[in-house]
Amino acid sequence: MTTLATDLYLLVAAYGLAIAVSYAGLPVLGQGAFVAVGAFGTSQLAAHGFPLGIAVITSIAMSGLAGYLVGFAAARLAGAQLALATWALAWLAYTALVVFPRLSGGAQGLTRATPAHLVSPSLGLDMTLQPWVHVLVAAAVDVGLAVVLWRSAATAWGLDLAALRSGAALADSLGVPVQRRRRAVLAVAAALGAAGGAGTAVLLGVVAPADYSPLLSLQLFVAVLVGGTATWWGPAIGVALLAALPWTSDRLAGAIDVDPLRARAVLTAVLLVAAIATRRPVARLIRRLGLTTVTTEVVTDEHGALHIPTSPGALLLQLRGVESSYGAVRILDGVDLELRAGEVHALIGPNGSGKSTALRVAAGVVPADAGQVLIQSTAAPTRVAAADRVRAGVVRTLQRTVSLGDLAVATQVAVGARARERAPQLGLRELLRTPSATRVAAARASAVGDAVQLVGLSNRTTAAMTSLDSAEQRLLQLARAVATGAPALLVDEPAAGMSADQRRRLGDVLRTLAESGRGVLLVEHDLRLVGRVADRVTVLAEGRVLASGTPEDVRCDERVRRAYLGDSSL
Amino acid sequence: MSGGVALQALVVGLSVGAVYGLVGLGFSLLWSLTRVLAFAHGDIVIGSVLISVLAVIGTTPVALSPNVVHSLALVVLALLFGVALSVASYAVAVRPFLGRTHRAEDLMGWVAGGVTAGLVIRTALGVALPAAAYAVPDPLHFDQITVTGVLSLPGGGTVGVRVFPVLLIAIAVAIATDRFLVLSRAGRAIRSVADDPDAATLCGVAIERTLLLAFAIAGVLAAVAGLLYAPAGAVGVDQGVLLGLYGAAAALLGRLGSPRDAVVGGVALGVVQQLTQASPHLGAAWASLLPLAVLVVVLAVRPGGLLAPREAFAE
Repeated sequence: MTTLATDLYLLVAAYGLAIAVSYAGLPVLGQGAFVAVGAFGTSQLAAHGFPLGIAVITSIAMSGLAGYLVGFAAARLAGAQLALATWALAWLAYTALVVFPRLSGGAQGLTRATPAHLVSPSLGLDMTLQPWVHVLVAAAVDVGLAVVLWRSAATAWGLDLAALRSGAALADSLGVPVQRRRRAVLAVAAALGAAGGAGTAVLLGVVAPADYSPLLSLQLFVAVLVGGTATWWGPAIGVALLAALPWTSDRLAGAIDVDPLRARAVLTAVLLVAAIATRRPVARLIRRLGLTTVTTEVVTDEHGALHIPTSPGALLLQLRGVESSYGAVRILDGVDLELRAGEVHALIGPNGSGKSTALRVAAGVVPADAGQVLIQSTAAPTRVAAADRVRAGVVRTLQRTVSLGDLAVATQVAVGARARERAPQLGLRELLRTPSATRVAAARASAVGDAVQLVGLSNRTTAAMTSLDSAEQRLLQLARAVATGAPALLVDEPAAGMSADQRRRLGDVLRTLAESGRGVLLVEHDLRLVGRVADRVTVLAEGRVLASGTPEDVRCDERVRRAYLGDSSL
Repeated sequence: MSGGVALQALVVGLSVGAVYGLVGLGFSLLWSLTRVLAFAHGDIVIGSVLISVLAVIGTTPVALSPNVVHSLALVVLALLFGVALSVASYAVAVRPFLGRTHRAEDLMGWVAGGVTAGLVIRTALGVALPAAAYAVPDPLHFDQITVTGVLSLPGGGTVGVRVFPVLLIAIAVAIATDRFLVLSRAGRAIRSVADDPDAATLCGVAIERTLLLAFAIAGVLAAVAGLLYAPAGAVGVDQGVLLGLYGAAAALLGRLGSPRDAVVGGVALGVVQQLTQASPHLGAAWASLLPLAVLVVVLAVRPGGLLAPREAFAE
């Protein structure tokens, strides 16, 4: 009974780690440190006279706060550095426990009488926490976590986690507040780790540093790797494998005469190797069995959920005298640019003329050194998160195609549609199916339907990313951006690598988007496509606007000819 | 802290820190080439030495002074095992997770691969060498430079005489590595791949071979660091991870990817750590926490290294 309860508590910590690792794609190697905070925090607080319940809750809160602080750093870390930082944290916590016996009770650890009593006169509570009580509590928490992860795949929570998993650049461009989400994920992961630790500490009545070594962090890491990406049942299988470790390692230790702890490390290493080696085949198997399929509702109706309320010709975006440098090189040297509702405005120019940089400044990814960016005639702050630009009404597509894992088309578009939703705690309310959350979800479904219809992917909503051709992947990128509801679309080289037929299809989509009241700022090398779809063309050369006007005007402009062809006459 | 104690800590710190610097140098080199953080590097440092001790002396290594043949065998085998472990870690734990341009792509893959490679080295050694710590004989016989093996410093402190040759060799190896990278044809190939793998390929650099060479060099650096570090005190198989993390901290005190910064960072870290240890208010407990805390804080503040420009890690 006690062993079962321990394993169930370990599963709580594993679920916490799974949210960070397999759902949000953050490589956390230090979950053991947070488990230790829960275990030693509870024991220390209880030893200093705090009531048991208060001790448990306080240590969980402390660990959650620690996770949140790690998240503050993690918001700036590329994934690799987060792995190193959390690995160092695991060793830091363990070393601190070893070198400060006052903290950890030395090698023997901290002990208290078991079974623990939970006494609360105000609640009229007086019960003895027998192991079976622990089994019930831990199992209830585990089942609750599994159900939440399972049911939230298609909710706001699931969509945000999918966006985080796909990388910061894409999530950012779709208006997901990446840093805030990462902090929340790490705080939840750490708090659940501490909850597992606290439960074990109360159950066993003894906590010793050796049980919270970095090996625990690695064991939890392998437990969440086993089940693949974003599966609610994965951690359970992983912890079941871990639970078999002591039994197997004791047999192994007896057979080849080594220290049982060493044998456990050997088996952990074997498990890790196996988990890595089988990662891709397992992922393929899971996909083939359809175990991760997320069904996203798509509603197509006539009135158009993504209707743009601006009048044709209204100013959507304006760059005024924008300057931007990369190191010592001046990329943009006083660029003026306007994007109006209902038009396709093409930005062309030779390589290195600053087209993509102008787009990035407009999207808020690169700050302008001088000049102004106005969104719907309101000045945008110079340094601003891209997520806020999306809400203000400007969205961009990335130059390279990035997919959101192998989520179905509709789900990927739904991630974009999340940017229009401003309801707080939406994920929780969607789980509870509150009336307001149901309304938001319905609006999301029709936004998805509208977006896929605008780009002409209506018949592909359930297709997996891997089954799309390269042109369809580009259109999916457009659909994700359209779904954010932002009227100004910044599109960077959408036709790269497309065939003539595909370009025609893309051109039609861009025209449809403009006629729906949006403004499309298009950076493109294919001048035939530009000539066909653009209402206005601006030519950049060496960071300055060379000419701007209708395609015919620009085509006849002498300076443009010179910029493209040099001084030689044809 | 009296002047004598401080001087003693400074001298020991320079020598210990130079070894951290060598570890950090390998770590930094591998990062600049592959954008992989070498999680197993520290285990290769300790592993190369302990395996060669196992091969030459057996499972009960004691601090006996080995004879000339044994000494030579220890050094040569340590270098060979260092190269072998490093190249093997590349083949098994790094190569499968690199992308088209030979830069890290599958994050979760190489992170798991790296910690697994380290764990495999640790546990395999742990099975062969079950005691908590071993005294490793000094194959280079540095303690026999003077009769007593210790040297008195002004102010009343004493240091083991081997700290001086350790410092000199570590610095010499670091300079040799730096010169190799700057002057030799192979070194230029390594730097070109670090700069831009695509451009290097277009210029006719064989990336695969260059990466293998870089991992072999990192293996040599690891073995040298291990040979200098291990005889200083009792060595346990688990010490490798910590040494690797100290090396990472050293590499991050400057600009991650710069070999010279790693060595300077290592020396600074070693000195501050020894001063912490010698300080009556802090002592050994805080000294063992210091490098780890430095690593966590630096990563949180400047993920590309303390001296790196802010934008270096924009995703």
